[in-house]
Amino acid sequence: MSEGALAGIRVLELGEAVSAPYCAKLFADYGAEVIKIEPPGGEVARRWGPFPGDRPHPEKSGLFQFLNTNKQGVTLDAGRPQGRALLGALARGADLLIENQPADRARAFDLRWEALAEANPGLVMVSITPYGRSGPYADWRGCDLNAFHLSAAGHRYCGRPGEAPLEQGTFAADFFGAAAAAAWGLGALFGREVAGGGQHLDVSCAEAIAAAFVGGQNIGAYAQDGKWEHRTGVGMPLGAPATILPCKDGHVWMLALEPGQWDGLVKVMGEPEWAQLEMFRDMFVRAQNADLIYPLIQEWAAGYGKAEIMERCQAAGVPVTAVFDVAEAASHPHLRERGYLVEVEHPVLGRLRDLGAPFRLPASPGGPRTAAPLLGQHNDEVYGRLLGLGPDELAALRAEGVI
Amino acid sequence: MTQALPLARIRVANFGWVWAGPVVGQTLGFLGAEVYKIESRARVDMTRTLPPFAGGVRDPDRSLSNHACWAGNGSVTLNLKKPEARTLARELVARCDVVIENFGPGVMEGLGLGFEDLRAVRPDLVMFSMPAAGLFGPLKDIRTYGLSLTSTTGLDSVTGYAGGPPIPFENAFSDPYNGILGAFAILAALHHRNRTGRGQHVDYSQQEAVMQMVGPAFMDWVLNDRVAGPLGNRHPAGAAAPHGVFPCAGDDRWISLAVFGDEEWRALVAAMDDPEWARAAAYASHEGRLAALDALHEQLAAWTAGHEARALAERLQARGLCAAPVLGIADLLDDPHWRARRTFVEVEHPLGFRETIYGAYVKPSRSEPAVRPGPAMGQDNERVFQGLLGLAPERYAQLVEEQVIY
Repeated sequence: MSEGALAGIRVLELGEAVSAPYCAKLFADYGAEVIKIEPPGGEVARRWGPFPGDRPHPEKSGLFQFLNTNKQGVTLDAGRPQGRALLGALARGADLLIENQPADRARAFDLRWEALAEANPGLVMVSITPYGRSGPYADWRGCDLNAFHLSAAGHRYCGRPGEAPLEQGTFAADFFGAAAAAAWGLGALFGREVAGGGQHLDVSCAEAIAAAFVGGQNIGAYAQDGKWEHRTGVGMPLGAPATILPCKDGHVWMLALEPGQWDGLVKVMGEPEWAQLEMFRDMFVRAQNADLIYPLIQEWAAGYGKAEIMERCQAAGVPVTAVFDVAEAASHPHLRERGYLVEVEHPVLGRLRDLGAPFRLPASPGGPRTAAPLLGQHNDEVYGRLLGLGPDELAALRAEGVI
Repeated sequence: MTQALPLARIRVANFGWVWAGPVVGQTLGFLGAEVYKIESRARVDMTRTLPPFAGGVRDPDRSLSNHACWAGNGSVTLNLKKPEARTLARELVARCDVVIENFGPGVMEGLGLGFEDLRAVRPDLVMFSMPAAGLFGPLKDIRTYGLSLTSTTGLDSVTGYAGGPPIPFENAFSDPYNGILGAFAILAALHHRNRTGRGQHVDYSQQEAVMQMVGPAFMDWVLNDRVAGPLGNRHPAGAAAPHGVFPCAGDDRWISLAVFGDEEWRALVAAMDDPEWARAAAYASHEGRLAALDALHEQLAAWTAGHEARALAERLQARGLCAAPVLGIADLLDDPHWRARRTFVEVEHPLGFRETIYGAYVKPSRSEPAVRPGPAMGQDNERVFQGLLGLAPERYAQLVEEQVIY
């Protein structure tokens, strides 16, 4: 069994909720040694569900479990001088420090790269916050929701006109920021000798989306022409069909833009006479007549199940897909055959299913092997092995509530 | 100022097209890698054909969105339908550390550019393939666009107004997400190569990578057998109430606001000048607010609707609340925060026009990238084919003439 791709990298995570924990999980899932540092009472995700039976318990959060696989967990109170000293000592031996503390707490913890780098010039530090560490909103309080909607992604791309802009029903900004932080953080680490040492990376979840998603498509046009579109609630405005439509047992993503795709769909629909009309000529004309066209396609779709529509369309070269719910997505034979779903043994939750590695590295496998750590589970081991603290010192730190 | 960027010694051949593949190369480019898009006038990348165009001139080198997505990539043109072009592609790969592609499974093999073909010329190659659903499995040949890929992950099933049908996300959020995460995958493989000397073929299933974003709902299904539906702007773990987007004064103006816990609730009530409705007993606890969320959101919306979004956000921030204006496209260039962070920058295109693209959306303290717009087609042909591959000028001219380099 080959070890993970990132073996040999030591990561400290001072994270809570989703962004920094998911970023650090990416490192942990591919073999880095990740030490998660929590305050003595545990980080906030331990108080966020889902919990089995909806009964809150600090060791039973499904969210915490998902975001913290393969990590070692220690506690320390970085609000106290002794806690900060322990943090500094751990940072001296680390390659990467991933944190997402709010601005005021980061200052209280003395989380400054310049100071940490004096003791460890090779350290790469990644800060992942909703708005970033500089600019007028740097000290604002925020969460995933605020970050997402500061990017214009919802305002432009999701929701009905006249109704509230929407986020996808997950922590989309936090995941996006985590991915950006992981890529840039690993890049800075990979090339730190080339670049002349470690550095600090300031990641704003909102900015990553505003730039790489919204900016990638819209900003040149707006800057040049001053024109921009609103969300439609229907789907892609430029071409049709490109929308979600209801069918017999749920919904399908109805997509047939290129001529061959449209012809394929017409064939699957049994070549109805209406499909020959001028307003069905090409994707642009179809989009202009979407109000008339979608009900006709929908009428056909209502007679079939989503799996059947997907199967028949795909066979005809049409990129129509079923809108899977979470259970259908997770139960699909494709993912089973790829081994995407795994099982881990959790000391309190028991044996449970988990999502596997987000991508497959054949020569250096990844994915969850061990469950998320219990609160302070690795205090003795980590402080003993890395900092040489003995049982008496650990007992004293415990007695004072530092760990 | 010249400074070495972390990936200064890494060279990448990017066969990617449309959006996800380009962003993989772009991310490595931001970090200093030398990246070449391999493309052809025989089959122009779709994103080069998308309006709007610089100055309104329809030309594959003037698509504005293309220049943002392909920033930092170079370009060489090879008509891969021709055997000599495939030979040149292999010779280029022999001098590269990484190959990126986002075709369906088997396409690169069909061109004689599969992993085995390329490993023969570059034994420690990291090859990165990012088909919709991975390189093997029953759905490997599934046809999707980034727009609809999310439907196979469960993500679309939780996107929409609470209690309503799924609402389509109107552009491919997953494309840049996968582009950026894909760069992490490549860097992990390069790290492995540094330690072991071995390359590998990364099987990046866009479906599996995006499905991680559904992790919170997936865990609810695992632990409680509960299948989530559209969530609106509600907190995915039910940890904040209120938690949503509320109307403000003006046309399509909104504020995002989240309240975690009783102390923050009291701060909000105080900010609203203590209205009668907010004193309802049901709202005194988080559980109560969560149970009465629809009514609470409605009452709150009636209050926010009279306020200007940014002024209200500032007022709520002063009380320690998570609040921010909801921005639209037209706000991005003027917003003081994004201006201060230089999120969007005006650059000079090599063809002589100025355009606005996004800059380094991560701010490195040491390795600040130079931001260059996406390439003109074939702009690096001479440098690559004559410089790097050492073709004599006559031979190069002949291959251009024969539309091999095309």
